[in-house]
Amino acid sequence: MDKKILEIQHISKSFPGVKALDDVSFSVTAGSIHALVGENGAGKSTLIKVLAGIYHPEEGELILDGEKRVFKTPHASQVAGIRVVHQELKLVNTLTVTENIFLGNLKYKGHLVDWQAMEKAAQEMLDSMGVVIRANEIVENLSVAKQQIVEICKAINGECKLLIMDEPSATITLKEQEIMFEVVRKLKSRGVSIIYISHRLEEVFELADEVTVLRDGKHIKTLPLEEVDRKKLIALMVGRELVNEYPKIKVEIGEMALEARNICRKGVLNNVSINVHKGEIVGIAGLVGAGRTETVRAILGIDKMDSGEVYLYGKKIVNNTFEEAIHRGLGLIPENRKEQGILPIMSVKNNISIVNLGKILEKGIILEKRETRYAEEYTKKLNIATPSIETEVQYLSGGNQQKVIIARWMLQNSDIIIMDEPTRGVDVGAKTEIYELMNEMIKEGKAVIMISSELPEILGMSDRIFVMHDGDVVGELDVSEADQEKILAMCV
Amino acid sequence: MGKEADVKIAPNSFGVYLSKFTKEYMLVFAILILGLVFAVVSPYFLTVTNIRNILTQMTALAIVAIGQALVLICGAFDMSLGQNVCLTSCLAAFLMKMCGWGTLPSILAALLLGALIGCVNGALVAYLEVAPFVATLGTQMICKGTAKLITNASPIPGMPDNMAWLGRGNLGGSNGLPICIVIMLLLFLLFAFILKKTRFGRNTYAVGGNREAAYFAGINVKKHLTMVFTLTGFLASFGGIVLLSRLNSAAITNGNLYEFDTMISCVIGGVSMSGGKGKIWQAFLGAMFLTLFFNGMSMLNVNSFIQDVLKGVILIGAVLLDIFRNKKR
Repeated sequence: MDKKILEIQHISKSFPGVKALDDVSFSVTAGSIHALVGENGAGKSTLIKVLAGIYHPEEGELILDGEKRVFKTPHASQVAGIRVVHQELKLVNTLTVTENIFLGNLKYKGHLVDWQAMEKAAQEMLDSMGVVIRANEIVENLSVAKQQIVEICKAINGECKLLIMDEPSATITLKEQEIMFEVVRKLKSRGVSIIYISHRLEEVFELADEVTVLRDGKHIKTLPLEEVDRKKLIALMVGRELVNEYPKIKVEIGEMALEARNICRKGVLNNVSINVHKGEIVGIAGLVGAGRTETVRAILGIDKMDSGEVYLYGKKIVNNTFEEAIHRGLGLIPENRKEQGILPIMSVKNNISIVNLGKILEKGIILEKRETRYAEEYTKKLNIATPSIETEVQYLSGGNQQKVIIARWMLQNSDIIIMDEPTRGVDVGAKTEIYELMNEMIKEGKAVIMISSELPEILGMSDRIFVMHDGDVVGELDVSEADQEKILAMCV
Repeated sequence: MGKEADVKIAPNSFGVYLSKFTKEYMLVFAILILGLVFAVVSPYFLTVTNIRNILTQMTALAIVAIGQALVLICGAFDMSLGQNVCLTSCLAAFLMKMCGWGTLPSILAALLLGALIGCVNGALVAYLEVAPFVATLGTQMICKGTAKLITNASPIPGMPDNMAWLGRGNLGGSNGLPICIVIMLLLFLLFAFILKKTRFGRNTYAVGGNREAAYFAGINVKKHLTMVFTLTGFLASFGGIVLLSRLNSAAITNGNLYEFDTMISCVIGGVSMSGGKGKIWQAFLGAMFLTLFFNGMSMLNVNSFIQDVLKGVILIGAVLLDIFRNKKR
């Protein structure tokens, strides 16, 4: 069991101004699942790109399966048996599963492409993974998790010694996650070595045999998973002891702030009632597709509801458009930061002021000095790490982008903040900072609704929890009576 | 990761300002070089008359290019602009010459029609979600056909004297500053201000940069797009009126290919085709470069077919330059 499939020795790689990898050495045991963790900017992506032959290290050696290797091109790395499944899927959506798996690696019968043989081989491969996917299905008709499995099949089609998975679970749901874990374990049992990168520590503990921690481009530690617990692992990643991962404070719960009663949308929401008080954080748990996002969209006037009522401080309101909801003091931090949240090519400054432009207008004219002042105030208050407030938001890390979006609604001074997956793709340190901001909000008497697929977060930060399933609220729990098993049992 | 480590120079220093300026307005140097070349080959080129000529020639195109820049920044583009210019100038001429309308009502009717065409474009694109290319190509054809119908495809010459000042009048005597140049410059100033200093401008960049995120920041994206298209249609018809006054004649060739020429102006100036990026003055410089280039070429008696070829070369060259500049970053 102690044979090493990969030995990384003294690898260094610099970019102008940054040492992305600084003398990194560790090895991966053959036939194991090796987790690679670290905060954004720790050097995980750079290391993977070195292994994949995309970057060339200035120093150091790679030894794959006992042989010293230098990968000049991505192709060389693939030929040597290293395959990477990227976070963003690289499938052609309009082609079939078979076509995708054999893309660039077609089988021939004479001079003609042999689709029959490929479809048979693809189906065998899928079946052996224990998942129900038809090889002639068009990829875009599959769920994200199944697409991921197709991606894995594509990667291991041919000789694969080492499979690298870059945050494969970032976009899939809890339920689908299990399917993918099964596939990963199957691969392991077949003797494939796997490097698994993830922000979610739960899955590291569930899947991995050993773990390597990187921080600021340096190798911090490699150790078997039995020798570490969650708290210690976080401390290694962040470089300091995180006193409390979920620093939830209790403040006095005030009057009812927002109440939605019997919201219906045909085929999506079925008599959904939720509510939140001033000074309270309400968590909405459930699987993707349970109607969580749809509920808040209906409340905010983004989608039309068929029936149902919304009350704000006891007064009935009707939000016909999202703008109306904003004017009434509601705010939304949307689910997909990249697509719905940031204005990527605008500066940090402009991103912060975009919701409440009125605050920097004087007689209809933008006062740039005032805008700069607010931007500086909020980047400081929210600890947003950016070279300057003029930097385009696309160049910031996920956590800092999220903080920029939170800053918008703090500048707008919304009373009721709805956060949809507020910490997705955000690293541990920044996560805790976002939780602290939620604390700030309730301290000021605001109300927070948090949708999340991460149960520890729901349990750690909420006062009260609604559980949704299939367009229905199936349970309302006080946090004191809730635990993971209870919520999970309601979810499915 | 490497991207985050930007070179750090003290903010607001002169060096930063200069490098930003040269990056955004690189065309200034191209125009200077081009002017120098033409001046060397043709003694007539650098005369006051010719420079006035060039500036006057570019007015209509430049005014329409403001509108094209607005839609481009907002993440769309408008293929109907050229025929909008054509139809609105023909309509004004038709009303004045054939229907006996007064000058002012005719012009107002033309401007109204221009805005309406833009509004239809905007509504199609924003509310009915037709692709900008298809929607504006459709209105382009409708405009073209309507212009032919009302003019019978024959020119309408000799506009009333009371609209001559707009395209042919001068401030300060017959050798003074042409009024249309002044109007053009004022319009550029106005729209540069609107884009930089108002909510409307900021929202235009936001919608062009990421339409969905703009919506989630509380911007009424559909309404905004419609407004931008409407404004652009209005500017096109205004360009049409200036052209009508300058040429003193309406013909179905008025504004021909302006949709492309304005797009080329914007793109070589540095306005991004993918939305969310660009300055109004870049469109101005682009229009100036184009006009200058073809003025010089004609002066040197270069075959007009070759000029067409060169136009294509310039467009591709400018886009490539832009791509390389962005890659280097």
